[in-house]
Amino acid sequence: MKRIIIENLEKEFSIGFLKKQSSFQWLLSFFSGREPKKVIKVLDNISLKVNSGEIVGIIGSNGSGKSTLLRIIAGIYDYKKGNVTVNGKIISIINLGIGLKERLTMKENIFLVGSLFGMSQEEIKSKLNSIVEFSGLKEFVNTKIYQFSAGMLQRLAFSISVHSNPEILLLDEVFEVGDEDFREKSAERIKELVRAGATVVLVSHDLQMVEKHCNEIIWMEQGKIRESGKTKEVLGSYKNDRL
Amino acid sequence: MAKRYILNCLQKGKSIIGLAIQLAKVEFKLRNEGSYLGVFWYLLNPILTFALLFLVFSISLGNNIPKYPLYLLLGIIMFNFFQSSTLESTKLMRDNNRLIKSIGFPRESLIIGLILKNLFSHLFEFIIFICFFICLGLNLISILFYLPIIILFLLFVFGFSLLLSSLAVYFVDLDNIWNFAIRLIWLGTPIFYAIDGQNHLFFFNLINPLYYFITLSRDLVIYNKMPEMWIILGSVGCTLIFFVLGIFVFNKLKIKMAELI
Repeated sequence: MKRIIIENLEKEFSIGFLKKQSSFQWLLSFFSGREPKKVIKVLDNISLKVNSGEIVGIIGSNGSGKSTLLRIIAGIYDYKKGNVTVNGKIISIINLGIGLKERLTMKENIFLVGSLFGMSQEEIKSKLNSIVEFSGLKEFVNTKIYQFSAGMLQRLAFSISVHSNPEILLLDEVFEVGDEDFREKSAERIKELVRAGATVVLVSHDLQMVEKHCNEIIWMEQGKIRESGKTKEVLGSYKNDRL
Repeated sequence: MAKRYILNCLQKGKSIIGLAIQLAKVEFKLRNEGSYLGVFWYLLNPILTFALLFLVFSISLGNNIPKYPLYLLLGIIMFNFFQSSTLESTKLMRDNNRLIKSIGFPRESLIIGLILKNLFSHLFEFIIFICFFICLGLNLISILFYLPIIILFLLFVFGFSLLLSSLAVYFVDLDNIWNFAIRLIWLGTPIFYAIDGQNHLFFFNLINPLYYFITLSRDLVIYNKMPEMWIILGSVGCTLIFFVLGIFVFNKLKIKMAELI
């Protein structure tokens, strides 16, 4: 079953920038608060298909369009041209911005984020112990999370996401801050989900993680797919290019 | 086919409401988190505003208004609900930008959550109103008339907030403009005074939705009299217009929100 089908996708952003202006234009900008904008093409002619039961990695330098692509798949961003079809419940963690509130306890955050991920209160209640157990943060369950480290937040976010019955799991730089043990544990959980028919799209700069767990890789550069295919081949070209 | 569509819509509606309730609970809790007075702040604000206005205006402006304390308090708490919901809605999308850019959840839940949170505060404030009602020895049965009014008012505020929250993403100045406009509305709406034949104020209030809702509430709840038909039609009309307009504009604009915040 095809979970994600993208055809000839194009995306542009209109972004404010520092432009050389005449004194009059500068005065106008200063008093109105408006800034000059330019249109940047961030995704250009992107086509891809991802099947159920696959883990696809997306690699590339910063600003190559990886997160934007994930946001379009998740339905967060609109696009200018092309077609995007997704089949299944999408759960996304993009830059760990999943709505955790630092003045709430871990348990309260599980209820909040679980709701954002589309789970009912009964479902969250029934999975609460399992979420806490998986995160490895049992002793902090009734503690407010404002003193949590980035790694602890990542454990919590990932644990909630994998318990939310995802059919398409979109992960953007989620494993860059965690410890090795939790990464392995998470990778195992991802494989379980994939065996059950889910699809995982993983954006990461951790090439070892990508090499170890992804079936296919998409290498993006300046908004375009530079190369895509089997993990070893694409990763080989990517590493050669970096030398 | 139609049955499946209806079931899907019901399921979606249930999930939006469930999420909104969760968001409202969280925001309600966080609003006074760590404060010594906690939820009492919800009571202090209307009580202090009421006390100040009553002291200053009860003789000069409230002398000819029957049951002036109730007249004033009901105006204050209804205006508070409208003010806090609409002011917060102009900042709502920007305040939640990280969340909106990360998860594809129904954006309407944020607005419904905001309205529900302010409804909780409104209910706290309404308890003070009931206390005044009892102190003045009035018949508590007429309080029940407030139930249909608050449902109507809730839908109006929801539509208005949808409109403001979506437009504020595209038009950043709206936040400041609304801050100023709400002060004018506060002064222009007969909250601590009565219009009493001042034509210019009367004509201004014909385009002021709050006038219809507040007058409707005062007539039914405080004075136990049937409001004039144009007041009822005005309230229902404002609700329908802003509810439909809010949903329409929000749905049109929501897809670009994540990019602009």
